Amino acid sequence: MNRIWAIAMNTYREAIRDRVLFSLLFFGAVVLVASLVVREITIGDQEKVVRGVAQGAISLFSSIIAMFLGIGLVRKELERKTIFTIASKPISRWMFLLGKYLGLLFTLAVNILLMLALYVLLMLLDQGLPHSDLLAFTVLLFVELMLLTAWATLFSTYSGPTTATAFTLSVFVIGHLADDIWLFGQQADHEWIRKLSEILYWLLPNFEIFNVQPQTVHELPIALGYVLSATGYGLGYTAAVLALAVFIFQKRDFA
Amino acid sequence: MKMHGPPTRHGKDFSAVEIKGLGKTYYSGFWKTPHVGLRSLDLNVQKGEIFGFIGPNGAGKTTTIKCMLALHRPTAGQVFLLGKNARDPDSRRKVGFLPERPFFYQHLTASEFLDFYARLFAIPRNQRVRLCGELLEKVDLAHVADVPLGRFSKGMLQRAGVAQALINEPELVILDEPMSGLDPLGRMLVRDIILEQRELGRTVFFSSHILSDVQSICDRVGLIVAGELKAMGRIDTLIDRQIKHVDCTIDVPSGFAFKGEVVARQGHEHLLRVPPEKVEELLTKVMSSGGRVIQVQPARMTLEQVLVEELGKTGKGATRGSTGSDAAHREQTRT
Ligand SMILES: Nc1ncnc2c1ncn2[C@@H]1O[C@H](COP(=O)(O)OP(=O)(O)OP(=O)(O)O)[C@@H](O)[C@H]1O
Ligand SMILES: [Mg+2]
Repeated sequence: MNRIWAIAMNTYREAIRDRVLFSLLFFGAVVLVASLVVREITIGDQEKVVRGVAQGAISLFSSIIAMFLGIGLVRKELERKTIFTIASKPISRWMFLLGKYLGLLFTLAVNILLMLALYVLLMLLDQGLPHSDLLAFTVLLFVELMLLTAWATLFSTYSGPTTATAFTLSVFVIGHLADDIWLFGQQADHEWIRKLSEILYWLLPNFEIFNVQPQTVHELPIALGYVLSATGYGLGYTAAVLALAVFIFQKRDFA
Repeated sequence: MKMHGPPTRHGKDFSAVEIKGLGKTYYSGFWKTPHVGLRSLDLNVQKGEIFGFIGPNGAGKTTTIKCMLALHRPTAGQVFLLGKNARDPDSRRKVGFLPERPFFYQHLTASEFLDFYARLFAIPRNQRVRLCGELLEKVDLAHVADVPLGRFSKGMLQRAGVAQALINEPELVILDEPMSGLDPLGRMLVRDIILEQRELGRTVFFSSHILSDVQSICDRVGLIVAGELKAMGRIDTLIDRQIKHVDCTIDVPSGFAFKGEVVARQGHEHLLRVPPEKVEELLTKVMSSGGRVIQVQPARMTLEQVLVEELGKTGKGATRGSTGSDAAHREQTRT
């Protein structure tokens, strides 16, 4: 366990010493601050619009950061051949992968918390303490990123950087369109298209489950049961993807 | 962790390294054409031995080492490290490893770097601090302990790599070309470290191109060419077999006759080059004719010459390892 932790902390340390992450985070902060400007150019419920833009920015930028880190997670170790010195220690491959993944989650958690703190600060300046269920928003966003990075990790264990990036982006986009795939199938005339879309829907992740912005923007309550079941779905799916990643990783040669 | 791990060698007399029928075939390209990297390799390294693994570029040295450390999955055969099957991560608990052309985490300072690897062996904190300090001292990096590795020179990285390979006080140290990229001082340092490991009763397995280094420190060497072990044995036997001639300096009165190549002459002193089996005959004749024997020197082949000869014999090494033997040849003519 200590050894997995050592790998996790090294991953975290590497991430926070990375300039790219810093720039992404900085850019995210700029967009967050800029969301206040929206107030000046909208009519109607300005406070709601500001909340929507700011929450959207948090969610988008943390997803970008998650994909960026996730794709590089194993890839970089393979490319820089640092894996040689780790895999040649009494470390199983699953321990390595789990350590890397935990380090990534830790980095993401810190990122989200930073952005969230900025969000609360901005809301205080703009409209007073947020009433909405920020905890549920944060938890579900984090679970979404866990699933997204699990996919990124899976791809980066066996494919090149470009393919891994393309695949991960596809999962990200498809995951957000999952409901549309379902709808598309239901409207089709052919039975087989309907069946195919249903299979795809259940096979591919549905990221919209984790999106509670409609409620948080409108300051509506979120049922605990919903948060729990969405979290359960996300964690189960994540575990399955990671297991597949370990399975593939265990077999590969480090060239 | 595992209920039934891979088999373990029981008993006390296991070898430090035992390789049995190791084979590795790579499949590359669109058609997945097979390419043999290693062909049924058998190798034994005894405990406490310094074993040198030599061969031209592309011979399969790195492939063998990667299979030993389970970085590659062999397509045939088995490897046992310190009596444990190499497939079991536990077999590496007392093993140190320095990869070829090591790359390390740029974001870590030298001491953070060593500390990290110590943690991978679950070494307790107080020991970690002591070991890291000692090792940085040993590889002469103590003055840059707090500099990030990203700013290290190639040779400094290599030294850091050597330190990393010793962090767990290993019983078996595996080094893939530890001398490459080092200045003469660094080479001497690594050589001393390797010799020190033997003093400590540890086993060292290392591959190298720098044959003079191998010759001066190894107990035994293995020569691999095109994925096959071509020769293995104690350095002296490997080289002794190959005594070509003996240079005898003698001081004899004029009129002395002996069949042999006269290399040099200075007054009455002659330097005669004779085949080994003729030495005794020559010396008795010199003594009986009232002459004097000044010096008898068997001209031993260097390991490099043995290697070049072996490569010439196999022919195969010359095709794939042409760059290697060329390099060896060039080096030989230079000296
Ligand atoms: N990942 C790989 N995929 C395909 N072929 C490989 C791979 N790794 C090594 N080979 C091949 O296996 C053979 C042995 O390579 P290896 O790296 O073991 O040589 P080496 O003895 O270490 O050479 P060098 O002295 O240059 O380090 C080479 O012909 C090489 O092309
Ligand atoms: Mg090599």
